[in-house]
Amino acid sequence: MAARFFLVPASLPRHTCASWAHFPGTPASVEPATYAMALSMLNCPGMKLFPLFVCLAAASWVWADVPEGLPESAPEATGTNVNSRYTVESISLSPNGGYRLSGPVAAEIEQLVGERLNVEALNRLSRRITQELKARSVTFRVARGQQPAHVRVTFEVEKKETNFDVSLSKLMYDSELGWSGTAQVAATFGDNVLTFAGLSNADDSVDRYSGIRARFDRLHLADGRLRLGVEFDAFRDQFDNATLSVLSNKNDSSLGAGAFRSRLNVEPSATFVLALPLTFTIGFSFESLQSSLLAGTNESANALTSALRYHEQWRDADENIQDVDAAYTLRAATKALGSGAAYTKHAAHLRYTYRHQRELVEVALKAGVIYGQAPLFERFVLGNTSTLRGWNKDDLDPLGGNRIADASVTYGYRIMRVFYDTGSVWDRGKSADDKQSLGAGVTSGFGMFGKDALLLAVAFPIRQGRVVPVFIAGMNF
Amino acid sequence: MTKTRQIALPTACIAVLIVTALSLDSLGLSGDGIQPRWAGDFLEVAAPKLHFLTGQQLDRLRNGAAVPFDFQLTLSAGPGTPLHRALERFVVSYDLWEERFSVVRLRNFRRSAMHLTATAAETWCLENIAIPAYSVPSDRPLWLKLEIRSAESKPAAPIADEGGVSLATLIELFSHPTRNTQGHWESQAGPFRLDDLRRQ
Repeated sequence: MAARFFLVPASLPRHTCASWAHFPGTPASVEPATYAMALSMLNCPGMKLFPLFVCLAAASWVWADVPEGLPESAPEATGTNVNSRYTVESISLSPNGGYRLSGPVAAEIEQLVGERLNVEALNRLSRRITQELKARSVTFRVARGQQPAHVRVTFEVEKKETNFDVSLSKLMYDSELGWSGTAQVAATFGDNVLTFAGLSNADDSVDRYSGIRARFDRLHLADGRLRLGVEFDAFRDQFDNATLSVLSNKNDSSLGAGAFRSRLNVEPSATFVLALPLTFTIGFSFESLQSSLLAGTNESANALTSALRYHEQWRDADENIQDVDAAYTLRAATKALGSGAAYTKHAAHLRYTYRHQRELVEVALKAGVIYGQAPLFERFVLGNTSTLRGWNKDDLDPLGGNRIADASVTYGYRIMRVFYDTGSVWDRGKSADDKQSLGAGVTSGFGMFGKDALLLAVAFPIRQGRVVPVFIAGMNF
Repeated sequence: MTKTRQIALPTACIAVLIVTALSLDSLGLSGDGIQPRWAGDFLEVAAPKLHFLTGQQLDRLRNGAAVPFDFQLTLSAGPGTPLHRALERFVVSYDLWEERFSVVRLRNFRRSAMHLTATAAETWCLENIAIPAYSVPSDRPLWLKLEIRSAESKPAAPIADEGGVSLATLIELFSHPTRNTQGHWESQAGPFRLDDLRRQ
C-alpha cells in the first residue's frame, strides 16, 4: 500500500483521480474510482497519456501487494493524523473522579503509553471506556507532552445524569432444584446507585429464599478509595421436606436456629480500595429470623462482616488472557451485637481462568469453616448449578454442613465445555465424604447473551448404582 | 397618482437591489464566492474568502484529532443538468508540536502536504480537486458549485479503509442532508463561459 506513493510521478496531472463524469442512469454504487479516472482520461484530448496511466495503475497494484522489504513512506504520509509520529507520554481520564476500570482496559491503556499515537486504538479504547463507565460519551483530546515529540492523551468522560438499568441479572435452572433468578432495576444518580431486586434462589443456600433486596451505594468517596453501602433484604424461606424431616429428628448443637419462615436483614458496609484491584469491605449484618413454628420465638443473627477481594485480569501480546478472582469473607456473630447465636464463618474462594485463542482452562477452589452455632442460611451447601454439579444439595446434606472443600476444573474449546467437580460438605467431628461429578455442555459464544454468559450442560454424579443426569442451564452465574 | 409612482419606483428599485444582493449572496456569487479557473484541461476553483478550518473543526484539530472534509465540485449547465462532478475526501490534522496543518487526500493517488498554515491547507485542498472540462462546450453558460462537509465529531465509520475512501461512499454521503453536528460550506459561481476564463 505504501509503495504506491513512490510510483506516482510528480509530472502526472494532479487532478486525474478526482473526477467522475456524470451520466444519467449510471449506477453510482458500482462506479469504481479507477473507472472514473479512466473515463476522464479517455475523454481527454491528451489521450496519449492513457497507456501511461494503465501501466502506472497496474504497477501500483503490483507494488501495493508487496508487503515488506521495501522502504516505507514516512509515518506522517501513510497515516491521516500527523500526530501519529509522536509518542504517547501519558493517558488520563477527566474529570478526575476515581473511575473504576477493569483490568483489561487498564492494561490496554498501559500498552498505549510509550507507543506512537494510534488514533484507531484510542477510538476503540474510548468505546470500551464508555461501556464500562456507562457514560454518555467518552472522547479524547491530545495535547503536547512534557517531553519533546511526546503527547498527552486525555479521555473526557461525560457522565449520564441518571441511568436506569433493568436487567435479568441472573437466571439458573437445575432439573433437581428448579429455577432460581434475580431481576433488578438499578438507578444511578451521579455517584449514587440505588438497586432494587426481586429474587428467588434455591441454589446457594439450604433453603429456597424469595423476596426483595434493596441496596444503596455511594461510590467514589475519599478520592475513589472508599465506597459506602447499605442493603436491606426481606426474604421468605421455604425448606425442602428432607430438610424439615431431618431437622425434626435431629438435635444438633451446631445449629443456631431451626427452620424459619422469613428473615429481614439490614447490612451497612464500607469498602476500602487498598491497592487496586485489592479491596477490603467491613460492615455489619443485622438479621432477624422469624420462626416457622407458631409458638416459636424470633431470633437474630447479628454479625460483623468483612471481606478481602482481589480480581485481576492480564492480557498479553498474544491475546492470552489470565483472570484471577479471589476472596476471603468472614462473618462473626456475637452476643455483644445482640445475636441469639454466636458463630464465626470463614469462607474463601479462588478462581483462575486461562484463555489461549479458542481454548480455556478454569480452576475453581472453595473452602470454608464455621465455628459455633450458625443458622441454616449460613451453612455451606454443595450440589447446585456451580458446585458438584450433578448432585442434589438436599441429597448430599439436607441441613448443609459447617465444613466445605470443593474444587472444579473446566476445559473449554470454542463453545464446548467439559468439567470435573469434586468436593465434600460435612460437619465438625465427622469425616468428609468426597463426591465427584462430570459434565459437558455448551456456552454462548457471542450475540445477545454475550461470551460465556449462558451455559447449557448435562452433569452426572459419579457414584455406584443408577446415575441420573442433571440438566443445568445458567445465565450470568 | 404621479406622486405615488415617484415614491414607488425608488422603493421597488431598492427592494430589487436588496433581493438581488441576498440572492447573489446565497448563491455564493458575491465576493465570498468561488472563482473557476483553468488548470490544464481541468477546471478548479479558488476561494480565497472561504474558510473551513474554523470553529468546532479547528477546536477538534487543535485537540489532536484528524478531521475529514468531504468535497463535492459540480459543473452544471443549469438547475438539474449536472455535467461533471468531482468528489474527494481530505483529512486535515494539526501538528501539535509544529503548530502547522497537514492534509492527506484519500482518493486514488493519495497525496499529502505538511507544514501548512490554515489558509495554505484550505488552498491545497481546493487545488487538489478539479473537474475535466475539455468536452464541455466553451460557449455555453455554466455553473460551478462547491460543497464541503466535515465529518461528524463522533465518526460512526472509520475515516478510510485500507484502500482509501470509495467514490460510492462519498456519493452516498452527499446524497443525505447535512446533520447539525457537521460543518457545512457551500458556494457557487456562474453563469460563466469557459471561453471567458483565462487559461493559466
